[in-house]
Amino acid sequence: MMHCTVEDLLALRAGEASVFARTHIEACATCRAELDGLYQRVAQLKALPVLRPSRDRWPVVQTAVRVERTRRRRVWSAGSLAAAAALAGLLLLRPTATGGGLHAELSQAKQQSATLEDELRRYDVDGRVLSGRAATLVAELEDRIAVIDGDLASLGEIKAQALDADLVKLWQQRVDLMRELVTVRVTRARYVGL
Amino acid sequence: MTVALAVPDVLVARAQAGDEAALEALFRAFETPVYNLARRMLRTTEDAEDVLQETFLEVVKSIRQYRGDGHLWGWVRRIAATKALMRIRREQLRAAEPLDQEPAGRPAMHVGANLDLERAFEHLSDTSRSVVWLHDVEGYTHEEIAELMGKSVSFSKSQLARAHTRLRGLLGEGAEA
Repeated sequence: MMHCTVEDLLALRAGEASVFARTHIEACATCRAELDGLYQRVAQLKALPVLRPSRDRWPVVQTAVRVERTRRRRVWSAGSLAAAAALAGLLLLRPTATGGGLHAELSQAKQQSATLEDELRRYDVDGRVLSGRAATLVAELEDRIAVIDGDLASLGEIKAQALDADLVKLWQQRVDLMRELVTVRVTRARYVGL
Repeated sequence: MTVALAVPDVLVARAQAGDEAALEALFRAFETPVYNLARRMLRTTEDAEDVLQETFLEVVKSIRQYRGDGHLWGWVRRIAATKALMRIRREQLRAAEPLDQEPAGRPAMHVGANLDLERAFEHLSDTSRSVVWLHDVEGYTHEEIAELMGKSVSFSKSQLARAHTRLRGLLGEGAEA
């Protein structure tokens, strides 16, 4: 009498068995016992004890996290400059009849933002040692600035005439955050005597 | 290993923003399941720990690409399985060992040796062990395993059948069906 192969038993378990296997398993106690054995073996495999690492690998990963943060910061910095340049170009090409006051405010906010960017670069943002609290604050501020940059980029894509007030507001928010960022950097730099 | 761990969306969002504390929380949540998976697929604790590290380096690098489609554990587990399989392939290339053979230097076991399951499992080749673990324990389909391994579905199925035949013999469960 021909019995089920292991392939047949696995196919039976998966519900993909041949007609022969499905018919045979009904009639053959030996093959039913083999199938039970297969189910038990898999259940025992699932019940094997959970193995745990003996060494903590987080410190290595943590270093990578910090390197990645530095890389992103560089990208962010380059991205903000590009966004600022693109918006400046856009606004120069726009007609001046949309509100001279708003344009003046916008120009002022952008100028302030650029000045603060320069100031930040002078503090060599990647090379300074920050306390955990300061690093968290910096990260939070950078994330918020990144969100504003995203909004600015979206507005730049829309290029609608009526968006001046929104642009001014966003740029002013950006300037405020940049100021806070500079303060954190400068305070920390002075504190460590650099 | 079944992981019932649900990671809050806000934690994932913070990790995607580069928040170190959130990334550490993810590491702590998944380090044991990742290590367990790698250790079951690989032969040494050192290799498994290296895969754990490589997996999380990849998670840190790529977490912004995770779009929330499916459980985060599924995403992390796939990275870990891929890393472990890459390591197996590298080792096999170095040892010029065919994918489906017992590793060199490991004494062949006799059928009916009555090993316990954990020891018997250790006696399978790296490839067979990986297929058994991914399919029978982690619940991967043969199609998914074939994709991960860069092999055919029939390769995955035949590896599983051979592994179970061998396990059955090592456990002394009688003559082949």
